Amino acid sequence: MLKWYEQIVPDSDVVISSRVRLARNLTNYPFSTKITDEQASSLVEEVKKLAPILTEKTNKKYYACNISSLSDIDRTAMVERHIVSPLLAEKKQTTGLILSEDETVSIMINEEDHLRIQAIVGGLNLEEAYAEADRVDNIAYEQLHFAYDEKYGYLTSCPTNAGTGMRASCMVFLPALSVARMIQKLIEEVGKYGVTIRGIYGEGTKSMGAIYQISNQKTLGMSESEIIENLKRIVMQVVKQERKRREYMLSVNSDEIQDQVYRSYGILKYARQISSDDAMALLSQLKFGLDCGLVKFDREFNIHKMMMGIQPGSLQWTLGKSVGSVARDKSRAEYIRRELPSII
Amino acid sequence: MLCDRCKERDAKILYTEIINGVKKEQHLCEECATEYTSFQMEKPLLNSDLTLGDLLSTILGGFTEEEKRKAYTPVTCSNCGTTYDEFLRIGRFGCHKCYSSFDMDGQLGRTLNSIQGAKIHTGKRPLGYSSAESERNRKITEIEKLTIKLQEAIEKEEFEEAARLRDLIKELKREEAASNA
Ligand SMILES: [Zn+2]
Ligand SMILES: [Zn+2]
Repeated sequence: MLKWYEQIVPDSDVVISSRVRLARNLTNYPFSTKITDEQASSLVEEVKKLAPILTEKTNKKYYACNISSLSDIDRTAMVERHIVSPLLAEKKQTTGLILSEDETVSIMINEEDHLRIQAIVGGLNLEEAYAEADRVDNIAYEQLHFAYDEKYGYLTSCPTNAGTGMRASCMVFLPALSVARMIQKLIEEVGKYGVTIRGIYGEGTKSMGAIYQISNQKTLGMSESEIIENLKRIVMQVVKQERKRREYMLSVNSDEIQDQVYRSYGILKYARQISSDDAMALLSQLKFGLDCGLVKFDREFNIHKMMMGIQPGSLQWTLGKSVGSVARDKSRAEYIRRELPSII
Repeated sequence: MLCDRCKERDAKILYTEIINGVKKEQHLCEECATEYTSFQMEKPLLNSDLTLGDLLSTILGGFTEEEKRKAYTPVTCSNCGTTYDEFLRIGRFGCHKCYSSFDMDGQLGRTLNSIQGAKIHTGKRPLGYSSAESERNRKITEIEKLTIKLQEAIEKEEFEEAARLRDLIKELKREEAASNA
């Protein structure tokens, strides 16, 4: 079964993935600020029982584990692949995870909310991500008593999530808008529609590899489908703007851009050691070249999978051991050299 | 087109009323619409100085003012011990009961409104969710939901829709009063 980041999907020149996360809490435990260690352990045990039921009622296999039982490398790799949040990975209390074998659906247990049901799919496909999360939510509700109120909807630990408890987001690749320094303006523009843009693999609005996350802010007073429609409309606008900007860049600077893309490929293909920051920046250039048809590979290749593969946690996970930063830079270069296809 | 009532000023509003199942439409000017309909406005409907908040509180009979007069009393959630001050300070609820504990006089609704720009959930309801308690709540919620829709209709200057919603709200309130009596 292919994982979401291994599939070839439409619109992936700009939209890498779509994600929907539902916050749910049980009525028989206090929320995260008040839950005791004993209660946390019993919460995790209770929710973990969902895994075999989900396997039985859907067409996927689900696995459950305690986060503390995972190695540091596994934990970091899962954070890099957006399966678990940094908060869950670092929490001192007992925390748990239920994960589908294709890594599309995950349930974080005892994060800021008792359950964080999450579904990720490739490309621009918020509807499918929601459908996946919704199905799991319905099955979970048959087993667990979720805190729900007619007036305020799903009751969450933080008031910013109350109502639908839903955060929908798209991971987008915006190299042309980044180069043109148009991201700040974009952030201000979409803010008016209750949508935020922030960088990932980086701090705040700066982003490593020009990858950003666009997500809804409001969870109350709008239905799930309205939230998705609104976000989708804005993401499509961003896609349009990015494509237009790419076209413009190519029309005025084609030779220079092509040269840069080939240089990036050259370094990636022949470097003997490389940091994750450098590799991200170069892969981002190469992805841009591939999306614009400036370079072609001799076989199908998912560059986003490599972007995740070069992150420190994922890399060590592939190596099967923890290594120091120099050794890591060497094995990263080796991994890229081995995996990167030839140019035709 | 001239106003159906005063036959003097230009008609700007199509006012629809359904009385005993009979639909009655009138083209009214702003002044007559204000006077004729039970919006009970102090100012003409389309006066731009009037904010939506003003509009809404006029329509609903000014209970916000009454709430404002009520003195602030410290509140603690009896289920988890979180105080309202603590909630405001850390921005997190202590348990699901905090929502009702902190909802004195609709306080929480206003807090949520200032954070989210809305105070009523309009999305998913868990499959098979229902209880006597929720049935009673549903009517209140229905009125509140309609009130929000009414607000939106006025904002978009869809007065026909606003009139329809207003009548629906009136009807629900009458039902509620009858069942409480
Ligand atoms: Zn008139
Ligand atoms: Zn509480």
